[in-house]
Amino acid sequence: MNDPYQILGVSETATDEEIKKAYRELARKYHPDNYHDNPLADLAQEKMKEINAAYEEITKQRSGRGGGSSYGGSTAYGGAYRQYQGQSTSSVLQQVRIAIQTGNLTRAEALLANYTDHNAEWNFLRGAVCYRRGWMDEARRYYQAACEMDPTNAEYRQALEYMESGTRGAYAPGGSPFGTELCLGQSCLPFCCILPFCC
Amino acid sequence: MFGYVRPPLALLAPEEADRFRRIYCGLCRTLGQRHGQRARLILNYDFTFLAILLSAGEEETGSGCCVAHPIRRRAYTRPTAALELAADESVILAWWQLRDGAEDRDHFGGLGDRAAAAALEGAYRAAAALRPAFDEAVHLQLQTLHALEAERSPSMDRAADAFAVLLSAAAGEAEEPVRRRVLEQLLYHLGRWVYLIDAADDLKKDAASGSYNPVALRYGLEDGRWTEESRRAFSATLDHSVHMMTTAFELWDFGAWTPILEATLYTGLFQVGRAVLDGTFHQRGKEKKNIQEG
Repeated sequence: MNDPYQILGVSETATDEEIKKAYRELARKYHPDNYHDNPLADLAQEKMKEINAAYEEITKQRSGRGGGSSYGGSTAYGGAYRQYQGQSTSSVLQQVRIAIQTGNLTRAEALLANYTDHNAEWNFLRGAVCYRRGWMDEARRYYQAACEMDPTNAEYRQALEYMESGTRGAYAPGGSPFGTELCLGQSCLPFCCILPFCC
Repeated sequence: MFGYVRPPLALLAPEEADRFRRIYCGLCRTLGQRHGQRARLILNYDFTFLAILLSAGEEETGSGCCVAHPIRRRAYTRPTAALELAADESVILAWWQLRDGAEDRDHFGGLGDRAAAAALEGAYRAAAALRPAFDEAVHLQLQTLHALEAERSPSMDRAADAFAVLLSAAAGEAEEPVRRRVLEQLLYHLGRWVYLIDAADDLKKDAASGSYNPVALRYGLEDGRWTEESRRAFSATLDHSVHMMTTAFELWDFGAWTPILEATLYTGLFQVGRAVLDGTFHQRGKEKKNIQEG
């Protein structure tokens, strides 16, 4: 393993409290909640494993001086980055879920295009494919259709809620607010002289 | 591109603001050295941001005078492979956009674009010969965009996708697989965000001229005016793209450029987005004018 202190971005002389703080900030950054349905979630998961291992290593090295346990333990996130694990109503839609999970969006789209029953789950999965492709507006519309067809389904409702306000809880350094409409006050001063370079 | 992607200079530490100025000057010099003085006129914040994203972690600096600053020596980032790539890609993108504007008078304003495209012709040919894959991608995606404009597609995702795919092609030369995935994802959503912000910025102008505007069509806006609900939905869709950018950014070590990128992605984009939605973002013309007069 690489230098655990370097991984956490702290010096070897850092106090236990400083290490814990650095660890928590990184854990928040790479947390599965921040990589919800993200096409790069596998990379975040690797980062999280590295950070957890580094924190546990430092804690072990310093044991007896009062360390701390890692954020939920290093194995706590084993399956949390994977999405779309709900039970399908048909074997084709189950295959669509697998295709999305493995990142094969072309296959997922082809399966959905040939599936004639545009039921709630079909709309939900169409939305999921759109989201993965970065078509956020269409994703929201499909999730909305899924919720209208099956208002009691928690999986669909959660997806729609995430599209409508999910980024409000997104990680930002130092816990700053995240969002265009939340951009207020001191952190959003008017632009300074736009081209000071050419003056 | 249009100059929407900028770091919040007033909030950056002075050494980081200086670093940004140095790469801005470095890109300008690289454009001049590779593609002639006229190519320097295309310089803007968006292309500078592209140069930063494509840069390796460390920065080499030099200093000297130039046409814009003939007396006082200024520090600049020395031309690197990344700056050369950014310069070539900027020329390709700028030329195609100018040519497009010349063909489509309503959207960009015709004659001036034709003259500017002609002035950039030689630079474009050289850059396209060096980066044929990127040139091909830009050409193809702008054709797609033209077709969507012609059919007045109400899908803003589809229209934005063309520009997003185009920009993600700028990462085409990245060899390390993780870096490539990170850059492609970041640039895709940067392209999507830029396209949507530009459409939002043009709402009133397009409503007056009757030009195609996918955002106005998507939300059924009258006279280019937001309703509370449509504005909320549009902000949410922008924020999702910013989130995709920040989550990608955090998965690669951008070295010396990390503070500038972090400030731009977590603060700068929100500032510009908010200003565009509030109708207070009117710096584009000023920036262009300053660069040309500079």
